[in-house]
Parts: sequence; C-alpha cells; structure tokens
Amino acid sequence: MTDVVKGSENETAPVEQPGTQTPSISQGDVETVPVLTNLSRTLGKRFFELLVLLFAISTLLFFLLRLTGDPAAVLAGETGDEEQLELIRKQYGLDKPLIVQYGVFLSKVAVLDFGKSLANAQDAMGLVWERLPTSFTLVLIAFSANLIVSIPLGAWLGSRPDRRTRKAGSAFIFVAQGIPGYITGLILIQIFAVELRWLPSIGNQGPASWIMPAITLASFQAPHVIRVISANVSEAMREDFIRTARANGAGFHTLLWKHALKNAMMGATALIGIQVAFLLSGSIITEVIFAWPGLGRLLVVSVQTLDFPVVQAAVFMIAIFVYTAITLTDIVFLFIDPRLRRQRA
Amino acid sequence: MSMVAEKESTASNDAAGTPILSVRDLVVEFPRPNNTPFRAVNGVSFELRQGETLGIVGESGSGKTMIALSILGIVPLPGRIIEGSITLLGKRIDNLSLAELQKVRGNDVGIVFQDPMTGLNPVRNVGSQLKESVRRHQHVSAAEATEIAFHALDDVGIPAARDRLKAYPHELSGGLRQRVMIALALINHPDLIVADEPTTALDSTIQAQILDLLRARLDKSTIIMITHDLGVAAEICDRISVMYAGRMVETGSIADVLSGPRHPYTEGLLAAVPKFDVRRPTLVPIPGQPPTADDAITGCSFAPRCTHAQSKCNERPELELIDGRPVSCWFPRPGAAG
Ligand SMILES: Nc1ncnc2c1ncn2[C@@H]1O[C@H](COP(=O)(O)OP(=O)(O)OP(=O)(O)O)[C@@H](O)[C@H]1O
Ligand SMILES: [Mg+2]
Repeated sequence: MTDVVKGSENETAPVEQPGTQTPSISQGDVETVPVLTNLSRTLGKRFFELLVLLFAISTLLFFLLRLTGDPAAVLAGETGDEEQLELIRKQYGLDKPLIVQYGVFLSKVAVLDFGKSLANAQDAMGLVWERLPTSFTLVLIAFSANLIVSIPLGAWLGSRPDRRTRKAGSAFIFVAQGIPGYITGLILIQIFAVELRWLPSIGNQGPASWIMPAITLASFQAPHVIRVISANVSEAMREDFIRTARANGAGFHTLLWKHALKNAMMGATALIGIQVAFLLSGSIITEVIFAWPGLGRLLVVSVQTLDFPVVQAAVFMIAIFVYTAITLTDIVFLFIDPRLRRQRA
Repeated sequence: MSMVAEKESTASNDAAGTPILSVRDLVVEFPRPNNTPFRAVNGVSFELRQGETLGIVGESGSGKTMIALSILGIVPLPGRIIEGSITLLGKRIDNLSLAELQKVRGNDVGIVFQDPMTGLNPVRNVGSQLKESVRRHQHVSAAEATEIAFHALDDVGIPAARDRLKAYPHELSGGLRQRVMIALALINHPDLIVADEPTTALDSTIQAQILDLLRARLDKSTIIMITHDLGVAAEICDRISVMYAGRMVETGSIADVLSGPRHPYTEGLLAAVPKFDVRRPTLVPIPGQPPTADDAITGCSFAPRCTHAQSKCNERPELELIDGRPVSCWFPRPGAAG
C-alpha cells in the first residue's frame, strides 16, 4: 500500500535517504526543508494542473455541444421553427465563425459565466451554487460516517492474529463491495421508510432525512477503506518496530492505535483522498434515489433536459471540487507523514 | 527516580547469592502441519550473575534470537515456550500474566535488536517512542519524561540530543538509530540487557563505535550478547556459550573456549576465524549445512558434519563437565593441552 503513496508523491519527495554518518550529523536538521516550502510547491503544482484540466473540460464541452448537431436546434428544443432558430443563433452568437465563438465561450468561462439555464432562464452558475450546500451536507455526513466506522473497524480486523476472524471479515467486505450503492439505498428505503416508517425517504427535511442517503453514499466507500486499513494494520503489526514496542512493555491497544494504525493511515490517506474526490460523483446516484435536491440531481435533470449551460456549470464545479480534494490530501500527507514533512535538501 | 534507586539496590543484594537470570531447560517449539513440531530451542540452560556478560554465538538459525525473545515472553506465534523456566531476580517470569510480563519488558529487561533501520516506528519521532516507555514504567510527568529521554540520548553519545528528540528515524543514520535503540533499552535502567546482534547491520567503523558504547556499560550492567562474530564476543564477554541447532554445545570463560575449544563445532568455528588460531594458515570452513527443520536427528545434531563422528554419536550426548565447563560431545577435543 505504501507503494501507492510513494508513487503518487514521486515528484514532491524522494522518501528514504541513505543515512550519512557522523561528521555532518549535527547539521541534519538544518538541512531539512520546512513544511511550508513543500506546501506552496504542492499547491502551485495542483493549481496549474487544475487550470489545464478546466481548460480541457471547457474545450470538450464546447465542441461536444457543436458535435451533437446544430446547437441552435438543441437550444430551441423540439418545437423550434426556422425563425426561432435564426433568433437563437443571433442571441447566442452562433452565426459567427467557430473560432470566434470558442474565444467568446472561453472568455466567459474564465469569469464563471455559463449563461442562463434553458429551463428557467436563471443564471446557470447561480443554480449550481444554490445546490452546493445541500450536496455538501450529504457528502460531509457520509464521509465522516465512513471514517468513524471504517477506521476502527479496519484496524480491529487487521489486528486479529487468527485467520478465522480475518477470513470472515474479508469475505464480508468482499460481498459488501459487490453490492451496488443503489441496491443499498433501495433496501434501506424498503425497510426504514416503507415497512417501519421511521425515516423519510425523499428530499432534505432535516436530520432524520439525512440518515439513509448518508449511509447509502458511505456504503459505496466504506468497504474499500476497511479493506485497506485492515490490510495495512495487519502488515504493520508484523513490522519490527511493533516487536520493539512490545519488548518495551507496550500492550495491545498501544501497539494497535499508537503504532500500527498510525502507519496504516499513511497508505490509507491516498485512498481516502481519492474517495473524497469522488464523493460528489458518487452522490449523483444517491441524490437521484432519495430525490435529494443537490448538485448531483441538478446535473442528472439538466442532462435529461439538455440544459447545456447548467450541465457545463455543474461539471465545472465538480472538477474544481475533485481537484480541491486531491490537493487537500496532499496537504494532509505533508502533515502526517514525517518523511515528507522534513526532507533533506 | 526513587524506583530506580530501589531497583538497583535489590540488584546488588542479589549479586552475592542468586543469579540475576537463570534459564533452565528452555524449549521453544514451532508447530508444523503434518509433522512433529520444530524445536528452535531445545533444552537450553544458563545463568548470569550481576555484572556478567555472557556471549551466545552460533550459526544463523541456531536459536539465539528465540532465547532472547523467550526471556521477554515475545516468541512470535505460532512459536511457544513449551518447557523450562526463566527466573529473573529470583522470580519466575515465564509463567507471569501478560500484565505482569509487560511490567518486566523494557523495565527489568531491556533488549537491543539487530536492525536499527526497521526497529523504530517511522512515523513517530524518537522522543515520543522513548517517552512512551518511560511513562509506562516510571511515574513521572510528561516534562520529566522528556528530560529522562534527553539524558538517555545524551548518555549513548548522540550529539545535539535535545534536538534529536524531535527527529524521526529516517532523519538519523544507521549508527545513530542503533544508539537510539540502545538508549531505549537502557532508559528504565533494566537489571538485564539483551543485545541481539546489535552491530551486525552496521558498517565496520560504526560497529566499533557501538561496541565501545556497550563496553562502557559493561561494569554496570548484566548483558547477554548475541552475536555470530567471535571477535565481538572476545572483546566484550566474560563467558561464552556456543549454540548449535537449538542447543548450547559448549560453555566456558572466553579465554578457555577460544584457546581450548572442546566441542568439534566450536573448534570448527574458531578455525573459520583466522586470528584466533595461529596454527592454521588458512580459513577452514565447516563442511556441510546446519540441520534444517526437516532433518530428524536423534543423536548429536552436529554429527553429520563432524569429522570426528563415530557410531556412538548416533546417541544424544548430554552436557558434561569437562575441565569444569559443560560440553556436549562423546569425543571432546583435547583443548588447550593438546
Ligand atoms: N515464525 C517462525 N516459524 C517457524 N520457524 C521459525 C519462526 N521463526 C524462527 N523460526 C526458526 O527458529 C530457528 C531459530 O531462529 P532464530 O531466529 O532464533 O535463529 P538465530 O540463531 O537468531 O539466527 P540469526 O543468526 O540468523 O539471527 C530458525 O531455524 C528458524 O527457522
Ligand atoms: Mg537472530
């Protein structure tokens, strides 16, 4: 698992350095790079990547719209006659040469102006902004629930020396991993909304309505976290430093929580970061199942109604979110992994 | 600190009479599917008195590390101690509860392992690992623990020790890490120090420094020094035990064993090291391989490789006193006299 970590961090840090002995020892600390240098380097790199990505996405979106046929026809919908089409072409500048249109489009995208929604003439980006907090609520609850359950569970599972428990655990995880998220959602609705009538199954109506969507969304990701943490912990428990700690009187809980888990988290952070990045996209299905008025549902509805400005704005926002999540992961790494925090110059 | 003083006084009381450590008939077994269990340690007995340094030498796989781990009660599963007794300071420690054993580990017995590169937790700084052990065994505040940790690093010759508390293992060279491991072993002033090949993983100049460091502690400490380097044993130890296939085949003072080995295996070991035997101009490797787990040997386990083996060697030789020191061989070598 550590290989994953090292692989993704190659450019920022050569991890292990062969030690050099005595004369220069006392300067060891002086030669290290402070965390902020690494931080700004990482941030700069990620920001540049984000710009490139956003540029690529907008270009793709621009040409996709034109490839699907006459954009004016798409924009006018099925009812539009020739006169309307002409009007729309003028209104959207579609009568100008393609390269000019592209330039105009890009310059608007640069200031996050995606035009108005075709459905209700509201500002497309405004609609996205409106939905964002609702999606974030769901994503945040699901993510916290995932970590609160998965980390201790994974650690406990990984610390079991006996094969039986571990095998049963991984069998369970294997099955859990295979169940599609929407099935989980539908089962939950059937039990807790339809049969027991404990929880509302639709929309955002306060805390009770958060439970099922959050569990559904978390269930996409929890099995992966449990599996990685448990594998990493069980690997760490066999390391020499565990033997050292045990030889100094450390008990099971010290070994597990203070020694093994901390190491296991190194490998898991990469996975968890990627999961954060895909939370929003994972929430699309969940939002549709539970009619959750968030960004995911907005995106699905907009795609269905060919509301291109809104689709573009939503995709843009998701891309920004994904990149922010990945960047945050990098930063978390800098803080929890001492090998990246202070490296020799 | 009062605890420490108390402990040292008990230790010196014991010095006259009972040994610090007494291991009797120790057997460590690893179960094997569809087979008889493998005995990594097969009936080992020895004693250590206050201030004494015992060397345990022997080829790889002869069970040296398992003896060390047995004393701390940390033989890795599925291995188990199935016979024997281990008595530390007059108290049996092989049948203690886990909670009581944890009070012995790192407190009454400190251990230095072979590989300093992997022996420290890479994601925790050196200070926190030292302090964890201090606060487990001594009732001190966090600030006092920091001071104790600082002095421990300073005592083992780590420069800029106060800054080093915040260093992570990867920021230290191999030699410094081994010093940290030694500091960790010594930090609660154990009555017994077990050093399991503490210099094997280091390059030769660093080896010499670490040996110097250990030698400086010799007068104060009771040490078991595990090594397969007879030179190291000769420099540091008072007595030496030679292990072969889970048994101690010969034990004696360092001078007696090196100048007059009685067991053919010891003789072979010495012949493989030129500077201890001026009579032989060239290195003479011991022919053959040590027995593997699959070899079922009923007699002397060295017999298949022994140039002096006779039919009697199909019976197991017991340890017998020869010139006042235990040797297990039907046909002991003449020793210094011959
Ligand atoms: N987990 C295990 N399962 C089975 N056998 C084991 C296990 N660990 C050790 N052994 C066996 O126990 C025997 C003694 O091992 P030990 O580590 O004590 O040898 P050693 O004398 O310390 O060797 P070295 O010089 O290589 O450190 C070896 O033959 C080894 O094969
Ligand atoms: Mg060993």
